[in-house]
Amino acid sequence: MRTTNLFDNYLFGTISNQDKLDFEARLKSDTEFALAFEKHRTLIEGLNQHEQRLNIKQIFATIHQQEFGKDAKIISIKEGFVKKHGKTVAVAASVAVIAVISTMTILSTGGYLLKQQSNAITDLKRDVNELKYSQDAIIEGISGLGSARPKKYAPANIEGTGFALNNKGYFITSLHMVKNADSVFVTNSVLERVSAKLVATDNALDIAIFKMENSEVLEKTIFPFSFNNHHSEIGDKVFTIGYPRKDIVYGEGALSSLSGYNNDTTMFQVSIPVNPGNSGGPLMDEQGNIIGVIRGKLSNAEGTGFAVKSDLLKQVIDSLKDETLKTELVLNTKKSSLKGLKRSEQIKKMQPFVFNIMVYKK
Amino acid sequence: MSKVTYTDLDFIEGLKHNNDAVLRALYKKYYNLVLKYVVNNSGNSESAADIYQETLIVLYENVQKPGFELNCQLQTYIFSIAKRLWLKQLRKNGSTFRFKDDQENEVVDVTDEITDHLKKESDIEKMNASLEDLGEPCKTILKDFYVYKLNMDQISEKFGYTNSDNAKTQKYKCLQRLKRSFFED
Repeated sequence: MRTTNLFDNYLFGTISNQDKLDFEARLKSDTEFALAFEKHRTLIEGLNQHEQRLNIKQIFATIHQQEFGKDAKIISIKEGFVKKHGKTVAVAASVAVIAVISTMTILSTGGYLLKQQSNAITDLKRDVNELKYSQDAIIEGISGLGSARPKKYAPANIEGTGFALNNKGYFITSLHMVKNADSVFVTNSVLERVSAKLVATDNALDIAIFKMENSEVLEKTIFPFSFNNHHSEIGDKVFTIGYPRKDIVYGEGALSSLSGYNNDTTMFQVSIPVNPGNSGGPLMDEQGNIIGVIRGKLSNAEGTGFAVKSDLLKQVIDSLKDETLKTELVLNTKKSSLKGLKRSEQIKKMQPFVFNIMVYKK
Repeated sequence: MSKVTYTDLDFIEGLKHNNDAVLRALYKKYYNLVLKYVVNNSGNSESAADIYQETLIVLYENVQKPGFELNCQLQTYIFSIAKRLWLKQLRKNGSTFRFKDDQENEVVDVTDEITDHLKKESDIEKMNASLEDLGEPCKTILKDFYVYKLNMDQISEKFGYTNSDNAKTQKYKCLQRLKRSFFED
């Protein structure tokens, strides 16, 4: 303790001139003493550096919050997307959000639109029509007719998430995202922009199944997911990874309800903060089972997301008429290879099979 | 109130002395420059804000160095740092997106600044981990004494020790623990 006090006094300059000279002489002759002092000095400097950094960080963060906090998101749209892709995307993106919410309303009434007079419902009708139209467009695009048409609109794009159903190139995403699509590409850390074809859709569940043109890379990688039929319960920890922006983003939370918006039993409600680009992403339980497909969120509540139950996926596949497709789309129900792994390890193994979906429109 | 315009030199002085009004004006002045750049290169406003704040921290810490001299426009300096930091971030995330080269803004070599910053960053990270390990009240006692230069009587009173000798013993123990954790981990 005496040495420490001596160090402090020397550093603070609260030491007599004679003691200071003695101290400096000892630093030169006694290497052990010099080393101990050096450590002490480094530590004190580190403490000061640490505190200074915290303070300046706080200052800038506060300024940001006060000057740009509320408008940060709006600025992003103005400066970024509109500039990059033209006005259509911003409009399309907002329509997509409306579509998520509005399709939920449809489901809640058992697939039939009840007569209501709110504006939201009026909007909805138009969106549903658009949805139907867009499916035609996708099919047309695939069959080659689409590309022969003259370009009427400036190209625009919407992005979101999708995940693999197996390692043969089949993947699933949200139908509302690919509506009006001319072509769809997928990318992630292992895939460099692969084009994909629509193979099946389910309007009510808002899901679309695609096959990518080339899935060689994935075929060589262990498929991480299991679609094991198990029982999820309220309070189960769940997580998702997806592309609300160009970098993959992790989100976690709990299963808050076994039914979705307006008691819709085809969906789960989850307490994961989800953003528009999260649509189509996998909802996972801790053992690495896919339990749902992220679909949307409540527009007026943060941290309330909805996911279509994965059990229903099997039903959709079973109901397919194309027998070859059916056999190609067998889902893995064996134990997930992710079970028992640390979360970061699970994510690492999942990443090649979670895609950033890029939707191009005419 | 009339609008004050600051020169590059004013900003440097303001950074040196933590002048709140100047820091705020500086922050506002170049935010859009960095925001635009990051957002146009596969970022969003959130990542732009992070990069911008880190950029200003690099600037701030460089300005504190004795003999700091700005050899180009402040705007160029800020943009160059931001660009390097954002590139680094993109690479770290393993982004496969092709980087759109920016022709609009001039850049200067800031390799030394970035290297120093990364070194400092890892030092601070290490200190942070040690301090977290240490916990309270040690963390605050050490900061109060070594950063805010409170004396032992003040610390004793603040933490409710019966006398300053007890506080002194406590501070000594805390420092020893921090030393062990910081140098031996």
